Amino acid sequence: MAAAIESGLKRAHFKDVRLPVLLLLPQLAILLFFFFIPSFRALGQAFFLSDPFGNTVHFVGFDNFAQLLQSDTYHESVQVTVVFTILQNLLTIAVALVLAFASDRVIRGRGIYKAIILLPYAIAPVIAGILWAFLFNPAVGPLAQVLHALGLAWDPNRVGSDAMILVILAASWKHVCYDYIFLLAGLLAVPSSLMEAAAVDGAGPLRRFFTIGLPLLMPTMFFLAVMNFVYGFFEIFAIVDAVTQGGPAGATNVLVFKVYVDGFINLDLGSSAAQSVILMIFALLMTLLQFRYVERRVSYDV
Amino acid sequence: MNIQRRSTLAMLALSSTLWLASATPAAAQPVQVQWWHAMGGALGERVEELVKNFNSSQNKYAVTAVYKGNYDEVINGTIAAYRAKRAPALVQIYERGFMTMLLSDATMPVQDLLDQRGFKVDWADFVKPVAGFYSYKGKLMTMPFNSSSPILWYNKAHFEKAGFAKPAETWQELEKQLYAIKQKGISACGSVLAGDYHWSLLENYSAINDLPYATKANGYQGLDTEFVYNNTSVVSQVARIKKWIDDDVMQIAGQGLSPEQLFTSGKCSTYFASTAAHSGIERESKIDWSATYLPWEEGKQPKNSTIGGASLWVMKGQKPAEYEAVAAFLDYLAKPETQFWWVKATGYVPLTNKAYELARSQGYYKDHATREIAILQLTRGTPTANSTGFHFGNFTQTMMAQRDEFQNVVAGKKTPQVAMDDAVKRGNEILRQYEKLNKGRY
Repeated sequence: MAAAIESGLKRAHFKDVRLPVLLLLPQLAILLFFFFIPSFRALGQAFFLSDPFGNTVHFVGFDNFAQLLQSDTYHESVQVTVVFTILQNLLTIAVALVLAFASDRVIRGRGIYKAIILLPYAIAPVIAGILWAFLFNPAVGPLAQVLHALGLAWDPNRVGSDAMILVILAASWKHVCYDYIFLLAGLLAVPSSLMEAAAVDGAGPLRRFFTIGLPLLMPTMFFLAVMNFVYGFFEIFAIVDAVTQGGPAGATNVLVFKVYVDGFINLDLGSSAAQSVILMIFALLMTLLQFRYVERRVSYDV
Repeated sequence: MNIQRRSTLAMLALSSTLWLASATPAAAQPVQVQWWHAMGGALGERVEELVKNFNSSQNKYAVTAVYKGNYDEVINGTIAAYRAKRAPALVQIYERGFMTMLLSDATMPVQDLLDQRGFKVDWADFVKPVAGFYSYKGKLMTMPFNSSSPILWYNKAHFEKAGFAKPAETWQELEKQLYAIKQKGISACGSVLAGDYHWSLLENYSAINDLPYATKANGYQGLDTEFVYNNTSVVSQVARIKKWIDDDVMQIAGQGLSPEQLFTSGKCSTYFASTAAHSGIERESKIDWSATYLPWEEGKQPKNSTIGGASLWVMKGQKPAEYEAVAAFLDYLAKPETQFWWVKATGYVPLTNKAYELARSQGYYKDHATREIAILQLTRGTPTANSTGFHFGNFTQTMMAQRDEFQNVVAGKKTPQVAMDDAVKRGNEILRQYEKLNKGRY
């Protein structure tokens, strides 16, 4: 039944097959040149030991993968990535939720608040990274001085956990607005009749939020959790590069940064390719998860 | 006449002049070659000037200098371009990339090129540690360009206030001085850790103190070289740095701040960094600074230091006319006058003895004494197998592993001995990988 309606819809919009194909072509071309071809090359490269110029190439089978799975630095990198992504996820969603709840409450100047909260999204990741690195630089950073004055021996250059906190802060700050806009939209979509009925029954704003707003936001939150994982795994390269360069001693060497360092600084193309293949598989799994479990539950027509 | 019509006419006029320009006889056209480099900021302006000087010195060739980002970005760009068969004629590659370029089968030895094209370059006249680093089987493979060596920069006022004429010659004495400066409250930090400390404080430390860094004459005699710096006083050197950092005698600038700023602002009293820092320090510094040789271990006779920086590689696959242009440009670069100009403009060391003599005879070093330190240090004594230089495959990768382990020491997660053992172990695995790839080719 559903399938029939769908195909009916498609037929109604496009009578001729040529137009939709034509409209899709640019996007397909971009995917082909910037995604599929590089992916297949990476897949091929992962099975070779080669000099960067490609003049000496040895087939090594699964050696690159085997080496990765035995390597301590790779294990550390996986750990670091998981810890980073989970903490970043929790922090981002929590802050975004508070902000969304608060700006759903205010009436006057809501637009201004929204604009301010959305600003970090417009800032380039590198700039955001440098900003945070400077603010918390133990030698000159004003916020680091505050921490020192409080008696905390803050030093992200030496202490791995400090560096991790700094990267999480910078990455979350940059991503909060993304979660925020979804959550705010979700809250606005909560039927006001429900909220009003609860208010008449004497439920306060917090109670209403926790018993009505939050449960209705759950599909959105699940979607955001997946998006945050993707963000944490693939998109924080520039921030790590600017804030810590993966250090100290690999404490913030997340997988995507390691791929870059091994490929473009160490020129170890085989290992770097093998790492990207593993990341690619992970990305596929995330996409699958999202389509199978999330997409079905999120309804966009509220 | 409306605007659209006018712009169409302008386009027509423009394209016809372009057409005319391209239609002029080929003989009058200089041969164009591209040179990719990594010199940003003020150094980039000097490179532009250098190319302009060469282009106006004759009319047969025209070199275009293209800034391609930092050293990593230039080598990556070169690799990508080479694989796409569009490599530029000339590329500037950092010294750590020597083996990668040498065995890549993508380059042409400069000495062969210039000899074949009939340029009379006095190859024996190149400063030994410079030529030594870039030679293979007695032949210069790549044209040395911006060569430097680390020196010890210091804040004169801080040392005088503490009652010292200048920094001591040995690490032991210098340590006492830095602690005294700290205790007397003269400066917040005795020294600042440079970004390339592995080069100045570990590699050059080994060369100057005549310590083996790896077997096979630091890789000069074979790809089966193995790191051994975990068995030398490099370990106690790492322990010393760690102690300085713990006692707040040395600071790490960290991300968001350049170490050089901590020195030039007068916050830190010393700075172990390249002689190429001259251009920056002279411009920015508000302090009364000077510089001297890198320290050595007590009781040792110091050897020469080794170089860093980059050289110019000629890529394969160019047309004969382009090779001629490249050869002419490299010949121009090697001339003492060009060298002297470059030395004055940047702070890098002169590459040939003739250029050095020219600078001295003109009294340049009388007014710029600190600029002579690096070359004096590079040419000090006779180089041994430990001080000639470092020829390691995947050198950047082994260095990154070493830095990683060094950070483990600073973070207090490993002792210096364990960390250097691990660095050597990781480094050797990387060397074996390179050996496997290039078996029988060195």
